[in-house]
Amino acid sequence: MLVITCPYCQEAREEEEFSYAGEAYIARPAVPEEVDDATWGDYVFHRKNPRGWHWEQWQHVAGCRKVFAVKRHTVSYEIAGSWTLADGKALYEEEQA
Amino acid sequence: MPKQGFQPFMESPLHHFKLDAEAQPRRADGRIWCNELPHLGYAVLRGDTAEAGFAQLVQQVTGLALPLKAGAVSQGPQGVLMWTSPDEWLLVSHRQRLADWTAQLDAGFAAQQLFAQTVDSSGGLTLAWLSGTEHITVLRHLGVYDFESIPLGHMVSTILGKATVQVIRLDSDGVFVLFRRSFADYVWRLLRRAAQPYGFAVCQLEARSDHPLFAQLAAPRPSLILA
Ligand SMILES: [Zn+2]
Repeated sequence: MLVITCPYCQEAREEEEFSYAGEAYIARPAVPEEVDDATWGDYVFHRKNPRGWHWEQWQHVAGCRKVFAVKRHTVSYEIAGSWTLADGKALYEEEQA
Repeated sequence: MPKQGFQPFMESPLHHFKLDAEAQPRRADGRIWCNELPHLGYAVLRGDTAEAGFAQLVQQVTGLALPLKAGAVSQGPQGVLMWTSPDEWLLVSHRQRLADWTAQLDAGFAAQQLFAQTVDSSGGLTLAWLSGTEHITVLRHLGVYDFESIPLGHMVSTILGKATVQVIRLDSDGVFVLFRRSFADYVWRLLRRAAQPYGFAVCQLEARSDHPLFAQLAAPRPSLILA
């Protein structure tokens, strides 16, 4: 079982209180009408599914009901940290750059 | 002419357990003493703390300071105001007073053009008082949270046997467990079952006029829907 820290409740809570909300920071095409089917298909269906560190979203459904970002290792299940979506995005973009 | 036809009345979600008939004065006998506080008023407040007028108006109308720390609870003789999320609070009071407050708050939000709203959830929630020396042990049987670590004047929103509940600690005597009306039968049976090894008893509710929650019980208990 994962122990996830909610950045809003500022407490480590059991996984049971959360629900998984998929990969984080998927950029929606700015003008959907102008992208080709392949680009739109990538946006809707294709996920990174990495073996290693993964930026994902979790929702604290039993607590504050906020969605936030978690960086988790998909092999070791180690959690590097959790942030509000806004705070995490800066770190995410730094990593991707 | 006598009134006929549809005559609505309020019924606690636990009315079928006939808790009133079972209730006895609370004793310090090691048992778990529990009862429902029926028919309280509940409202969700949503707002943006960056707008100064929001906290001000809430304080002015309810007399309760808007709690800004995670899990903090403001309390006064007229009710409690709990932090449930960075932009959401739960207000609990006497049902009629709560209706007056929400009307005043809505008018104030509109007048100041605040990005805020109230949602009356009185029909959807209920509250149980859980006390006795082993009351924390009962919660430990049912949920994964470290219930003994909730400080006075705080609440935690977590899961008891798959049902979402809020556990509110105002004093060291016991805790209030807040749950949905639709889960009330289930949560009540769950508490009762978990308390069995220690002994379970339904306590008479103390009419304490200065208590933030006990004082909000309508006396006599309302059976008719309030106008
Ligand atoms: Zn939370």
